[in-house]
Amino acid sequence: MTILATSTAPAETVERPAAEERPSRRRQTVLLVALTLAISAVMLLPLVWMLLTSVKPEADIVTFPPRLFPRHVTLQNYIDVWHRIPFARLYLNTIVFAGTVTILSLILDSMSAYALARLHFRGRGVVLALVLVMLMLPFQVTLIPLYDLLNSLGWTDTLHGLIVPRATNAFGIFFLRQFFLSLPQDLEEAARMDGAGEFRIYRQIMLPLAVPALLTLGLFHFMYNWNDLLWPLIINQDQAHQTLPSGLALFMGQHVVEYGVLMAASVMSLVPVVLFFLLIQRRFVEGVATTGIK
Amino acid sequence: MSTGIPVARPRYRGGVAKRRQARAAWLFLAPSLVILGVFIVYPMTQALYLSFTDYDVLNPATWTGLANYRELLGDEAFRNALVNTLYYAAVATPVSVALALGCALLLNRRFPLRGLGRTAVFLPVVVGLAIVAIAWGFLLDPDIGLLSYWLGKIGLTANSGWVRDPTLAMPAVIIVGVWKNIGFYMVIYLAGLQSIPRDLYEAAEVDGASPWQRFRNVTWPLLANQTMLVTILCAIATLQAFDQIFVMTHGGPFFRTETLVMLIYRQGFSEFRFGYAAAISWALVLLILVLSIFQFAYFRKRAVRY
Amino acid sequence: MMNGNPSPRRRGAGSPTARRLIGVALAAALSLTGCAGQGQKKDEGSSTSGGKVTISFWNGFTGPDRPAVEGLVKKFNASQNKVTVTMEISPWDVFFQKLLPSIGAGKGPDLMGMDAAQLPQYASRGVLRPMDEYYSDAANESDKLVKPAVDATAWQGKHYGVPMNFTTLLLYWNKGMFKDAGLDPDTPPKTWAEFQTAAKKLTKDTNGDGKPEQYGLALADHETIAMWPILFWGNGGGVVSDDGKKAMLGDPKTIEAMQQWGDLVRNQHISPVGLGGADADKLFQTKKAAMEIVGPWMTTGFKDAGIDFGLAAPPAGPAGPVTLGTSVAFAVNAKTTDAKAKAAQEFIKFWNTKDSQKEWALGSGFPPNRTDLAAGDLTENPYVVAFGEPAGTAKFYLANVKDFTKVNDTLYTPALQKVLNGKGTAQDLFPQASAQIQQLLDSQQ
Repeated sequence: MTILATSTAPAETVERPAAEERPSRRRQTVLLVALTLAISAVMLLPLVWMLLTSVKPEADIVTFPPRLFPRHVTLQNYIDVWHRIPFARLYLNTIVFAGTVTILSLILDSMSAYALARLHFRGRGVVLALVLVMLMLPFQVTLIPLYDLLNSLGWTDTLHGLIVPRATNAFGIFFLRQFFLSLPQDLEEAARMDGAGEFRIYRQIMLPLAVPALLTLGLFHFMYNWNDLLWPLIINQDQAHQTLPSGLALFMGQHVVEYGVLMAASVMSLVPVVLFFLLIQRRFVEGVATTGIK
Repeated sequence: MSTGIPVARPRYRGGVAKRRQARAAWLFLAPSLVILGVFIVYPMTQALYLSFTDYDVLNPATWTGLANYRELLGDEAFRNALVNTLYYAAVATPVSVALALGCALLLNRRFPLRGLGRTAVFLPVVVGLAIVAIAWGFLLDPDIGLLSYWLGKIGLTANSGWVRDPTLAMPAVIIVGVWKNIGFYMVIYLAGLQSIPRDLYEAAEVDGASPWQRFRNVTWPLLANQTMLVTILCAIATLQAFDQIFVMTHGGPFFRTETLVMLIYRQGFSEFRFGYAAAISWALVLLILVLSIFQFAYFRKRAVRY
Repeated sequence: MMNGNPSPRRRGAGSPTARRLIGVALAAALSLTGCAGQGQKKDEGSSTSGGKVTISFWNGFTGPDRPAVEGLVKKFNASQNKVTVTMEISPWDVFFQKLLPSIGAGKGPDLMGMDAAQLPQYASRGVLRPMDEYYSDAANESDKLVKPAVDATAWQGKHYGVPMNFTTLLLYWNKGMFKDAGLDPDTPPKTWAEFQTAAKKLTKDTNGDGKPEQYGLALADHETIAMWPILFWGNGGGVVSDDGKKAMLGDPKTIEAMQQWGDLVRNQHISPVGLGGADADKLFQTKKAAMEIVGPWMTTGFKDAGIDFGLAAPPAGPAGPVTLGTSVAFAVNAKTTDAKAKAAQEFIKFWNTKDSQKEWALGSGFPPNRTDLAAGDLTENPYVVAFGEPAGTAKFYLANVKDFTKVNDTLYTPALQKVLNGKGTAQDLFPQASAQIQQLLDSQQ
């Protein structure tokens, strides 16, 4: 079989001269690596500054001439963070908040997105338009009416008051809808013809195909809520319920900012989000690669 | 199958199937719609109502009709914020989309350190903005900043600069905004690039297409969905630019960087004019809506469907 | 499901899809209502049960000030069992963002700490409870409090706050840099003439590129404690008159001061343009500026940076010596119960006792709110006494002005910045801004 195949191969196949190919390929790789390093340097410089500042003693941070690398490395800032604010509790609160919101959002957003992308019903356009309009209104203006509403429900300073208003959002729905639109329809059509219910189709066909998008959206939701300062601060009255950003804000005084401790606390609070990203970046790229070819 | 003869199965059209789909759709949407309805739509309508009043949060609102809207049409601060907002969006959106696409194209190829590149571009997205602004401030402070110092050593000095300079303040804010968010859009583009079948590229190569031609005829058209998503999201985000402006310049110097959302904040929270702030917000929604409609119409023709 | 078994499906609620989704929805709804019930009866703070009162106290003392505030609150709570103070600290901008809706919804804090300049904005809207009963009670020893700070809490004849902290601004000068410039390191400038000469001498552009490597003065023009107004006052001008009735930005004396100092900044480069308060502090801290007029919060930072600095009253202008006084005041929510208001007053009284003020001053670096603490009590922190000394010549910026934020952020600061950036002269821009300020002041009468 194989022999037949090769003997009928078209003569126009581009012949790659092996010897001449390798140097230019290597040159290309070098170019790509150099470009990547340059881009990485620009993107990472402020973050590198942040990391290096976190290991400098406070008196060495505001200096002239400015120095990127520390003269003395100290971990005192990292230790101080734990003494100055209830870091462990803030961490836990933030994990609960951001984690719950992310999971709920993924479920609710994907269900709505599936309906808007694949199901035909009267009013679909209206719902979609409504979702989009919600994206366009700045939250500064809904904040006070929303707070009033939560207050009248008795939901301020409660966990559900914190989480439920965030349990679904227009961005997630829109994002996933666009994604679902781009998926091939044949699998669903076949399943529908076989009589499968919509929920089953959603659960067993769409969701697995959507894993890369779900991971990406999950990361976005997690990260957005992890870093959110205003919302938890406004809803929570009890200091015991506060989240990480409010803890970090305690290092920013009106006149004096404690840069060393602040950077140390920031580095430590970044860890889960960065880990989440590293975990998914491999997975989602591999996952999506298989969807288009079907 | 009960019979051995293959029968052409009719597609599910017609009343029964449609009703079934409709019911399923509403059930799927129900939880989201309830939550969105209560916690977003309701406050939104409240905000709409308040835009017709002189609400100052501390005392009950009194109806003032169209007074707020009439005021904002003649308000110089509104016009200034509008211009700033459009300037910001008009620069930040194309630049973000182009850079995100460029990074995605670069970091989609196989070569060592690709993972580092992706992480480096994405990392700014996850760091809190207040921290990032502090870091950039330290780097670019005209007097004691690290980058200013290094640039000074090679002869480039600026008397003023960064956020102190009225002309450079907006570009500074745009740079930080773009820098922070391109990772987000790059990830969307990477997903899109991964779903372009490789055989299309191989076919193009066989036909002798150059890299630019491959991009223009294969990559770019097939990325249309992502481009639409990225452009629309980016436009909406940049038209609502607030966080980095609040932290870096607070709208200054003398309102040179005050965008519409910054004005909304100032009117609502600093000057207690919440009704007026609500009116400005709805003007902003209208602006974004109009621009989005144009974008949707433009991209609809180019949508990629499988 | 892909097994091709075409059993006829029943329509209606019996279909699997519908059932499943209804189930999910019901479960969600049940959990929500279940949770909601718990929140219903939540109280802002337990009322008098056996005489114990809990009051909520919000303020913005983040950063290095926080430990001192927390220390005193803890001490108060431990020292007696009638009142418990639960405190919430957030950055000032978040504090105000949260205060507004909370008060609007009737859930504001019982006690707040806010800049005295903000009191009229809230007092005029009925948010704050008058504190005159506190002042008339002799047991509170209010006569020992720094008078300018007390006066700063007055609005339309009533006092709406009690000082929580108070400080003036002093001139910091870098002795080492003075010596290098040929000036006597132990003699700070005392008049404007000396001040301006020193500033010019201390501004050095050694490589001639137009940008000084060293500035004589770090003068902040926005997002800062008020520095420029001290210069206006020094010449007999100002932004608004002390009684809050007349806009003075367009006065000839103000414009004269602006022109004089504006020329020094723009043309002689004694200070960079566009500095925020934090930028100015950093300049002095890195020895790039030789002088700065600022408060006590930088003493630790400057000392740790190894700067040998001196402190003196800001140099006196033609109108005589003057400096800025600034104070954060305790204010009580108008809607709080009488019992809680009384409890809050107990805390305020504790805060302003001699012992507490000694602890506060030494812990925070702010001078004490009381005038009867001898320098001998405060030897551990010598700066603290220095910052309290010029209280007699201290003026409060925009005192008695109802719309502080609007006047400062929207009318005055942009005008100042425009002049400093060469977008107009003081002659043109200041009278314009002054007229607008006057309009605002007139509307509050």
